[in-house]
Amino acid sequence: MSSRESKPAPRFAEGRAAVPTVSDTIAEFAPRRPRVRLSRPLTRAAAAAPFIIPGLALYLTFILAPMVYSFAISFFEWNIVRPPLSEWVGLANYRQALGNPIFRRAVLNTLAYAAVTVPGQMAIGLFVAVLLNQQIRARAFFRVVYYLPVITSWVIVSLLFEYMFVGQSGLVNYLLRDVLHLIRENVRWLADPVLAFVPIHLLGIWKGAGWTAIIFLAGLQAIPEQLHEAASVDGAGRLSRFRHITLPLLRPTLVFLIVVLTIGGLNAYISFLLITDGGNPLDLTHSVLTLMYEATFTRLEFGYGSSISYLLTAFVFVISVFQLRLLRRRVEL
Amino acid sequence: MKTLHSRFTVFGPLAVLAVILAACAPAATPAPISAPAAEPTAAPSTEAPAEPAPVEPVAITYWHTMSDPETAQLETVVAAFEAANPDITVETTRYAYDDFKPALLTSIAGGEAPDTARLDIIWVPEFAELGALMQLDGAMAEFEAIAADLFPGPLATNHWDGHYFGLPQNTNTQVLLWNEGRFQELGLTAPPQSAAEFAEVACQLSSPADERYGYALGGTYFWAPAPIFYAMGGKVVDEGITTSTGYVNGPDSVAAFSLLNDLYQQGCISPNVLGGGIGTADGHATGAYAMITDGPWMVDIYKGSYPDFEVNFAPIPSGPDGTTSSVVGGEDAVVFADTDQADAAMEWVAFLLSEDAQRTMAEVGVIPTRSSLVGDPSLPPYFDIFLQQLETAQARVPHPKWSDMDGAINNAFQRVLRGDQTVQQALDQAAGEINSLITG
Amino acid sequence: MGMRTEERLVRWLTYALLLLGLAAVAVPFWYMLVTSLKPQSFIFEVPPRLWPTQATLGNYAAALSKDSFGLYFLNSLLVAVASVSLTVLISALLAYAFARLHFSGKEPLFNLLLLGMMIPPVMLIIPQFIIAKQLKLFNSLLGLILVYVTMNLSIQTFLLRGFFEGIPKDLEEAALIDGAGQWTIFSRVVLPLSRPGLAVVTIFTFLYSWDEFPWAHVAIKETTKRTLPIAIALFQSQHLTEWGQVFAASIVALIPVVVVFVIFQRNFIRGVTTTGLKG
Repeated sequence: MSSRESKPAPRFAEGRAAVPTVSDTIAEFAPRRPRVRLSRPLTRAAAAAPFIIPGLALYLTFILAPMVYSFAISFFEWNIVRPPLSEWVGLANYRQALGNPIFRRAVLNTLAYAAVTVPGQMAIGLFVAVLLNQQIRARAFFRVVYYLPVITSWVIVSLLFEYMFVGQSGLVNYLLRDVLHLIRENVRWLADPVLAFVPIHLLGIWKGAGWTAIIFLAGLQAIPEQLHEAASVDGAGRLSRFRHITLPLLRPTLVFLIVVLTIGGLNAYISFLLITDGGNPLDLTHSVLTLMYEATFTRLEFGYGSSISYLLTAFVFVISVFQLRLLRRRVEL
Repeated sequence: MKTLHSRFTVFGPLAVLAVILAACAPAATPAPISAPAAEPTAAPSTEAPAEPAPVEPVAITYWHTMSDPETAQLETVVAAFEAANPDITVETTRYAYDDFKPALLTSIAGGEAPDTARLDIIWVPEFAELGALMQLDGAMAEFEAIAADLFPGPLATNHWDGHYFGLPQNTNTQVLLWNEGRFQELGLTAPPQSAAEFAEVACQLSSPADERYGYALGGTYFWAPAPIFYAMGGKVVDEGITTSTGYVNGPDSVAAFSLLNDLYQQGCISPNVLGGGIGTADGHATGAYAMITDGPWMVDIYKGSYPDFEVNFAPIPSGPDGTTSSVVGGEDAVVFADTDQADAAMEWVAFLLSEDAQRTMAEVGVIPTRSSLVGDPSLPPYFDIFLQQLETAQARVPHPKWSDMDGAINNAFQRVLRGDQTVQQALDQAAGEINSLITG
Repeated sequence: MGMRTEERLVRWLTYALLLLGLAAVAVPFWYMLVTSLKPQSFIFEVPPRLWPTQATLGNYAAALSKDSFGLYFLNSLLVAVASVSLTVLISALLAYAFARLHFSGKEPLFNLLLLGMMIPPVMLIIPQFIIAKQLKLFNSLLGLILVYVTMNLSIQTFLLRGFFEGIPKDLEEAALIDGAGQWTIFSRVVLPLSRPGLAVVTIFTFLYSWDEFPWAHVAIKETTKRTLPIAIALFQSQHLTEWGQVFAASIVALIPVVVVFVIFQRNFIRGVTTTGLKG
């Protein structure tokens, strides 16, 4: 790709403060700080302290401490009324989870959900962003409408989708059977352990595509017009320009989205809970988190529930680190 | 630049104001002050009556999941209680049913459990085993007197480990609802009285092509088939809760589930039982389901949502031995072990169980648990059928692991309906699972 | 000539596709709106109609007059505004430290902060409850706010850090040379240039705080301090769900969120551009 030096200057004048400028180039090769007065670590820490302390204090109190607590109880059969009476069980909770076929099925369901919805959101999001990147009228209007699914709560949207996929008079069956005549009998979506995932996956994609589109749009807007113009003058068609200019420059955006969307997908919970009513049928439609919720709040097995959460967290952590490593290989502009 | 800047400058002070307001808000409510022991009842004494100790006002909390009309009616009960006990105020909080248990558990874990609450009867053994509830027999003065007047079934739901951890605040059961309009379309005038008639009528009233069925179940969780199950003589465990072999997979239980399964396979029971269909309440009112089983709350629900629909009740069709039965539901009032207002809390619970309070709640369709109120003229007339049914209705298993047992039966029913197993096989499996839960 | 026609064709195609997509996106909403106008007996009518045969505002009347709906709405507003301001402030401070200051342990600390994004929040509720209670923040809107701010810290700091790192350093260096301290640089130079990024944080945090349910449900036990999502959940009673009212209440609840988005969305696009997503 073009190196930093050849990046055209006029872009900055257009008000898009997106990309590194010439002064950054200078800063990179020149001494970092023109006037570092005192470089002793203690003074630097003292300078940083007022910026860090408020956030850090909150984080330690309300996230780190609870995390430690949750981690600790996963090694016990935890009694929430009389904690001192809790029984130490070591890794038994973890072993129980990993050996449980319902848990394994939940892992499969969760992975499948991420595998379908992440590319789905990315593909549709990118497509919509490309469309919205044109000079069209009412851009703001379209943006707001495409963003509406994102800003509605999961609870409402899950209920809405459940309502639309109701077997007997739901909108979807009505369209498929009575309007489009594609099926003969109403499909019992939510009663089937595999078909129940159709509304769930559709919901995941539907809800996230708008958010993804906005982020892609931002990424697209940062690509200089000049590159496209230069390429088309050279005879490159739309598709070719997309493949060789747009996509590579979008790579960091793509990786960021993959990380964040994957974390979200693996943590899927409310839509599963509300649409399948907790693993219906036969505990075949659980996600890892709905299982954890049921263990903790329905069956009062707090230690076991906690071990499930930590198994999930560990998995998310590993995947995120792996994906973030990819992020390190930035595109030089 | 200027306009953006001004937007934030307005925002800033507004935000600061918001934070200050929020921080000040908690001061608004008076914290419950721990009261000195309630005045002792006058003892038959030779001593001169002592000066009553100055009683400080006490506030107790009561959490529930009542419906809208019930919540409104509760205020009347609270007002009456506070009038009779001027030194106690009751703060009631309504919770969404689906999220009540997590809220309770979190509060208990954090030491912020309410003083009293109305729990589903199924939860009482669980919470009792956890040590979260206060034992009432022996601690509450009026306990014996009240208990003597209660229906035995509902009272038994509070029993765990030799003691009682609550009192049944209201009870209910399921009866048969039949849609007279649909029946008349086929020239039928009366609801079925026996299981055999029931099966016949259900199929007569079904036309799957039009998505109309003779009977519908809400799902496969135990509560749904329970009325028919019990009416047909089915049992889950033995009296002492030691085993379920021979009970949940015994011949009567198998017959009950076979009846339901056969009807389903023939298309006489709506497929919504497996999930994803119209709810039984809506379906019944719109004629999609000619018969359902449900409880007394339907009267007010239909009044609110389907005011033109006239609901008809009938006893659960009797089983092969000619007797009817059904399943007991309801809620129990409990006192939490960690309360600092034990006496006030028990006063409140006792009041909830008083005849007056029960009559007041009866006005909104809440069935009382005091047998002395049977035949009381102030009760709504439609209570009769439920009270009648309650004479033979049976409680589910009062065991901390009931929800898992329910799950075992639920899954068994699913497997049967889906054709994965025969009824006997499925119930045998359930028996094994329930046994390990008992010995657990 | 050919170029012009091609452009025009592409533009019309774009409109067509966007409108088609609009249908897919908007239909569920349209259905929600229409259902909120139907009386309960029509909710499961066959065939389902995309236009109410009997429109009624009854659901809205019932929903809005129920259970101190207005009070819950105001509580939500209060909590949301406070959460947003605190989050913007604290995460900006944190992000600035990570972006511009140097101190030992900076990157490990940042990675520790990122860990907060990967935890399923529902898992933390019980210990958060215990801690909030110890700190006397239980059953207070302030307790709600502080937890909301904390739950957003990781991701907002991550976003803002990227944004700050993308701002050209010339202005800051000029200020340094003029003898300005870090705080002045932060508040007078960096923050004003970051309005787009701050708008992003505003929208995301407002959204979170407005819709949050699990923590609000357990942390507040007094009816007068409850927030809007609880009110909506109460429409589902044990035996029947009043769908019309649920949807009516939800539509009313959507209004502030849409307003906030519309106000800040122009900045939003520019903001997301500079959060380091581009690498």
